[in-house]
Amino acid sequence: MNMPRVLALLGKELLDLRGRPGLFWPSLFTGAVAIFLPVFVVVLIPAFTGERLSDSSDLQLALGLYRDQPWARVLDPESAIQAVIFQQFLVMLVLSPVAAAMSLAAYSVIGEKQARSLEPLLATPISTFELLFAKILGAFLPALALSLLCFALNLAVAAALARPGVFLVLLAPRSLGVLFLLGPMAALVSLTLAVCVSSRVNDARSAQQLAVLVVLPLTGLLVAQLTAGFVVTMPIILLVSAVLAAISAGLMRLGVALFDRETILTRWK
Amino acid sequence: MLAADTLTKTFGARVAVERVSFELGRGEIFALVGPNGAGKTTTLRMLAGLITPSSGTVRFRGEATSGDMAALRAATGFLTETPGLWDRLTVGQNLRVYARLHGLPQPERAVDAAMDLFGIRDRAAEPTAVLSKGLRQRVALARTLLHDPAVVLLDEPTSGLDPESARDVRELVLRLRDDRRAVMISTHNLDEVDRLADRVALLNTHVVAVDSPEALRARLFGARVRVTLADAAAHYADVLRGAGVTDVRVERHVISIGFSSDAPRQTPAIVRRLVEAGADIEAVEIEKPSLEQVYLSLLKGDRP
Repeated sequence: MNMPRVLALLGKELLDLRGRPGLFWPSLFTGAVAIFLPVFVVVLIPAFTGERLSDSSDLQLALGLYRDQPWARVLDPESAIQAVIFQQFLVMLVLSPVAAAMSLAAYSVIGEKQARSLEPLLATPISTFELLFAKILGAFLPALALSLLCFALNLAVAAALARPGVFLVLLAPRSLGVLFLLGPMAALVSLTLAVCVSSRVNDARSAQQLAVLVVLPLTGLLVAQLTAGFVVTMPIILLVSAVLAAISAGLMRLGVALFDRETILTRWK
Repeated sequence: MLAADTLTKTFGARVAVERVSFELGRGEIFALVGPNGAGKTTTLRMLAGLITPSSGTVRFRGEATSGDMAALRAATGFLTETPGLWDRLTVGQNLRVYARLHGLPQPERAVDAAMDLFGIRDRAAEPTAVLSKGLRQRVALARTLLHDPAVVLLDEPTSGLDPESARDVRELVLRLRDDRRAVMISTHNLDEVDRLADRVALLNTHVVAVDSPEALRARLFGARVRVTLADAAAHYADVLRGAGVTDVRVERHVISIGFSSDAPRQTPAIVRRLVEAGADIEAVEIEKPSLEQVYLSLLKGDRP
C-alpha cells in the first residue's frame, strides 16, 4: 500500500466534506438527543416528580446487574443509578455520527462516478485497495471526531448536572472501551460495507439502504441493554470489537475483489 | 513509444474493438476518428491502462504492459471525455491531489508549473464549479500533464468548447508535439484532425485505414490540379486532351486535371501548355478534398 496516495485522496475527501457541513447536522441532532435523554431521565424527571431514582424498584434491579463494577460499590445508590443511565446511552451516542458518515460512504464511489470524476482518478496509479481505504477513512475519521465531540459534551453535561462522581464513571474502562473500541469498530464495519456496496451498485440510494442494515445488530445490543438486563462488560466489548475488526478486514478484501473498474467505467451511467 | 498490438475488447457478446494495431511515435500527433460506438474511447482506455484488453497487447517502449497496469497509468496522461474535476475543490486543490496521487517529489512546484503553462494561476483559489467550460478543460489538461507523461491520450479535447477555447487547446496539443511527446486524440472534428494530426486512424470497431491525412486523400481521390481561366475553359481542355492528358474535367472557367502520381511536379508543364495555347490563367491550385469526404468515402467502403 502506498500511504502518500491514500493520504492524498483522504485529503481530498476531507476538503470535499468541508464544503458540505450540512451533512453532519442530522448526526449532531441525534447526538444532542443522546446527550439530552439521560439528563432528562436523571435530572428533570426526579426534579418534576420529587422522587428519587433510587426509589424505583426497576432501577434498583438494573443497578443490581452492575454490582460487580468497581464504581457501583463506591457510589451511593442514587449516583450509581445515574451512572447506569448515562452509560446506557453511551452506545447510542457513539453510533449516532455513523449515520451521517454512512451517507458519505455510500456515496463515495457512485458519487465520483456520477460526478464523472472517477475515470480521471482511476487513470492514476492508485490501486483499488488504496482507493477504497481512503474512501473508508474519509467517512470514518469525521464520524470518529464527531463521536469524540459528542462524548466530550456528554461528559461536561454529566459533570455539570449529575451527582458528583457520576461523570468519572463515563471515564471508566468499560465506557472508554465503548467509545474507543466498540463504537469505532462498528462504524468501520458499517462504513466498509457502505463503500463496498457503493462500488457495486450504480445508485447511491441502494448503497445507503443496504449498508444501513449493519447498524441493526448494534441497535439490538443497545435495546438488549435497556430492556433485557444485558450488561455490556469489558470482555464483551473486547470480543465484539475483535469480531468487528475481523469482519471489517474481510469486507475490505471482498470489496477489493469485487471492485470491477471495467464495469464501473463502461456500464454505469 | 506506445503500440496497440492486435487489441480486441469484448463486452459480453458485443465486440467493441477488434484486432486494432498501430504505433504511436514520439513527437507525433495521432488522431483516432470514427462514428459513435466505433471503439475510440475503449481503445484509449486500454492504452491508458484503465481496462484490460480481451486479447492483444499494449506495448510501452517496446515492453508488453499486461502485467503492470499501474505502471502504464503512471506513464500516460489521459484526458477523459469530460473534465471530471472535483467541483467543491479549488483549481489548486484539484491539481495538488493529483500531484500527490502521482507521487511527484515536489507537488507544489509541479502544480505551479502546470498552472503557469495553462494560464490558470490567477484562478488557483477558485472552486472549479464556477469556471467556464473552456477553463475547466484547461484545468483538466493541466491535471493530465502534471506528472510529465511521455504519452498523452486526449478523448475529444475540444468537444463543446467555443472557438477561442478550442484554438487554445489545439495550440497546447501542438506544443505537446513540440515537446516530443506522443499524442493521441480521439475526435469527431475532422477539421481539427486536418490541422493537427500527423497520422489518422479511422476506426469502425476495427481499423479501416491508417495513414497521414494527405496520403489518405491521395489514396482515395488521387492528385488533382485546378486551373481557373479568364475565358471559357472547354477549348483549353481539348488542347490538354490533345496533348495526352486523359483525366480532364471542365466546369465553365475551370479545368480540373487528375494525375496518377505527384501533382505538383507535373503542374508546370500543364500551365506552360495552356499559356502556349493562349489561355489567361487566373489561378492554379492543388485540389484538396476535405477530410470529411475522405472519412465518408472510407466508411462507405467499409460497410458490408
